[in-house]
Amino acid sequence: MVRFTVNTTPITLDVPQDKPLLWVLREDLGLLGPKYGCGVAQCGACRVLLNGESVPSCMTFAADVEGAEVVTIEGLAAPDGTLTAVQQAWIDEQVPQCGFCQPGFIIAATALLESNPAPTDAEIDDSITNICRCGTYPRIRRAIHRAAATLAGN
Amino acid sequence: MPRLLSRRGFLITGAVLSGTVAVAATAGVGYLATVDIDGPDGFVDGEVGVLNAFVAIYTDGTVTVSVPKVEMGQGIHTGIAMLVAEELDIPFDDNISVEHPTEILPVYGGWASQLGIRPEEASGPLHWLGRRALGAVSLVSTGASSSTYELWTQLRQAGAASRHMLMGAAAERLGVPVSELTTPGDGTVFHAATGTRLSYGSLALAAATVPPPAAPALKPATDWRLIGRPQPRVDIPAKVRGRPVFGMDVVLPRMLHAAIRQAPVSGAAVARVANEAELRDLPGVVDVVVVDGHSVAVVADSWWTAEQALWQADIAWTPTEWDDLSGAELARRMEAALDSGEPNVVHDEGDPFPDAPGRLVEAAYSAPLVTHACMEPMNATVLVRGDGTAEAWVSTQSPTSARWGVFRGAEAAGTRPDDVIVNVTQNGGAFGRRLELDVVQQAAYLAARHPDRPVKLLWSREEDIGRGIYRSHARARLRAALGEDGLPLAYEALVAGQSVAQGMMGRLLPITGGGSPEGDFLTSEGLESPHYAIRSQYVGSYHVPSNIRVGLWRSNGFSHNVFFAESFFDECAHAAGSDPLDYRRRLLADSPRLRAVLDRAAAMAGWDRPLPPGRGRGIAIGGAYYSVVAQVVEVSVAADGEITVDRVFCAVDVGTVVNPNQVVAQMEGSILWGLTTALMSANTVENGAIVETNFHDFPVQRLRNAPRIAVEIVASDALPGGAGETGVIPVAAALGNAIFAATGRRLRSLPLAITESVGERRTRSVLRTEDA
Repeated sequence: MVRFTVNTTPITLDVPQDKPLLWVLREDLGLLGPKYGCGVAQCGACRVLLNGESVPSCMTFAADVEGAEVVTIEGLAAPDGTLTAVQQAWIDEQVPQCGFCQPGFIIAATALLESNPAPTDAEIDDSITNICRCGTYPRIRRAIHRAAATLAGN
Repeated sequence: MPRLLSRRGFLITGAVLSGTVAVAATAGVGYLATVDIDGPDGFVDGEVGVLNAFVAIYTDGTVTVSVPKVEMGQGIHTGIAMLVAEELDIPFDDNISVEHPTEILPVYGGWASQLGIRPEEASGPLHWLGRRALGAVSLVSTGASSSTYELWTQLRQAGAASRHMLMGAAAERLGVPVSELTTPGDGTVFHAATGTRLSYGSLALAAATVPPPAAPALKPATDWRLIGRPQPRVDIPAKVRGRPVFGMDVVLPRMLHAAIRQAPVSGAAVARVANEAELRDLPGVVDVVVVDGHSVAVVADSWWTAEQALWQADIAWTPTEWDDLSGAELARRMEAALDSGEPNVVHDEGDPFPDAPGRLVEAAYSAPLVTHACMEPMNATVLVRGDGTAEAWVSTQSPTSARWGVFRGAEAAGTRPDDVIVNVTQNGGAFGRRLELDVVQQAAYLAARHPDRPVKLLWSREEDIGRGIYRSHARARLRAALGEDGLPLAYEALVAGQSVAQGMMGRLLPITGGGSPEGDFLTSEGLESPHYAIRSQYVGSYHVPSNIRVGLWRSNGFSHNVFFAESFFDECAHAAGSDPLDYRRRLLADSPRLRAVLDRAAAMAGWDRPLPPGRGRGIAIGGAYYSVVAQVVEVSVAADGEITVDRVFCAVDVGTVVNPNQVVAQMEGSILWGLTTALMSANTVENGAIVETNFHDFPVQRLRNAPRIAVEIVASDALPGGAGETGVIPVAAALGNAIFAATGRRLRSLPLAITESVGERRTRSVLRTEDA
């Protein structure tokens, strides 16, 4: 049995302790925003916030989330649907192409701006290691700067 | 005989799997027999006026565009909706939604691209016949950068015809002639004399029964409100919320999950699964299946369970004739082919290559196998019912290919191609990979064993990178005889590779045996340089088979051949003592369109401004898919040989631009795709199998090595060209040329590397032997 909260909803689940959080979210909780892209913490498509920190959910296990707060891409926007500054910046800069990897990038950017409200390009490049095959990297950098500016103005 | 049409679509936004508008069409409508652009007659279904194959208007005024093209990241759903909205005269806002039709109508088939022409170029009895024949086959696919140029006129006509029908309905309701009506662009028909305004929603049902015009007039370019102006993509709001349904995200009642292990040596069969009984006893495991003799799948209540079981599977494979095959041996076979001297002649123009050229430039180039590694690993969900009918939910570039895959996999269950409905989901990247039907066929095979239960098969990333489909490797020999002015009098390029056409036709078409490698232009495309003023050109190809499956891959043969040719012409420029830009300008003396693009890229980069030591600038140009792209790469090479791409300048002429921001996005993406392959990615063969398994040994670009990119669009009012692939073509050569400018070293093998041990690169000694 594992107890944790997902997107503010308390969850109690009977799943194997070694089941990756990614598959708990996707198969047991129906949260399909986090994606399977590699299974070995290489690509970042599965990233979620675990107690505010960006982690690859494919290498985070059920046992690791006992008592934790997990936020997925579905849980970022406010209950009334208002997007976060990061999500809005992703629209304003027209970042996504296929969009498959973008939940992971948005999660990673959200965590980055939490710890570093005004990252430089080099800091963005060093801290976000996710993979996008469509080639949205230039727009991701721009969107993070835009979100940082929005958050600084608030 | 009346035929029931289910005009069902797979909505690209929202979580609903399929919005169903099942409708009965009257008998005898022309579109079933023809491929005319105006498609079916309209009809009414409840609250929907279905005006034609592309446009449906609801009584609340919302408009649904049925797009027979797949959204795989290229923004095509937005571009196509723009074409319809432009002529329908409606704002580009939330009232427009886009869906992929599940009914594969002949009108959706890209017959012109298959004939190698633009639809606007069709004329005469041969094209008419070709159109008829291809309409009967009805192949629907998204590829070859063709969507915009294929649908450019058709979709605007669909919008214009719909507007005409709405105005006809308004004229009848108001009792006024159509000539007194206008559409002000806000989704209404306006009668100025009385000040009356009727919304499209209120006219939708009546409009559906108005006869469509034979040849609806299209707006002149000066009246465009949308085309050529950046519009936000229709799919992005859902994508930032994590809502779109990719194939991997399909969830259906009573669905089973499957994972698979394919033969490491492609072609090997399963000899036995030694611990099959133990696997079956694992909690959650439903079935252990040898799929088509060549793979082992576990079906379970969870993908994680199925994949875990396969990690424990003890599978023995049969020996094959390929078991000792290595990359070195494949390289030897390609070299032997090049030595044989009897190529398939692809291009032969002008005098033969001179026996005693005054000034000879010669070089050998090579490129490795490389896979697509779409971010969404291969998957398919298939339901085979007890009566043999079937339905698939799949991220695919071609519903017709997927349908054929379901048929092949479920044939034993009595499923026929006509019994299969394919729901096309969002594609998490595609790049040519999702034209294949392998995963669909496997999923159907499994589903046929579990009737009335959907089975979702998902490949692990290891299956995708290590057991998948690859762009062909290639080895080439190029030579040129330079004249007194330094320009080539004669140019000859010979390339050896594996035939993609042969492999793909064998896998995809309803015939066995495959196509003829002799006619495979994919191997050599991009080697001939028709735009360069070189009187004698000779291009030939050789095909060397192997058990590795090769397939289409973003820009195909152009991706390596333009690297070969544009690097080689750089060598010619240096041999002639010319500046590479100036040399190309002279070669393009008769090609003003290409020269303008080249000049723009050079100007963007400040070509004449010197760079400090250790840095260099390279230029290259490519033309394909009716578009032209030139790029300048700026590179830094460190003392230890580490290559850093600093900036890329890109000028592009895609003819008339529909959505400029998306053309820019495609250039950015193409450049990063091309740089990944130029610097990092390669698949290698040992013991008949691909060595790489995941992103740790198949490195790709990440943020930290993504350069700054500047893109400018060269204005044009020509018919649109393709934007999805052309940008890939020149970038590897521009990079190699920049490295030469920085270091004086000419790198002739992809991926480009100065030393063997830099960064994440793997040692690939065989493929490097001819580096300078």
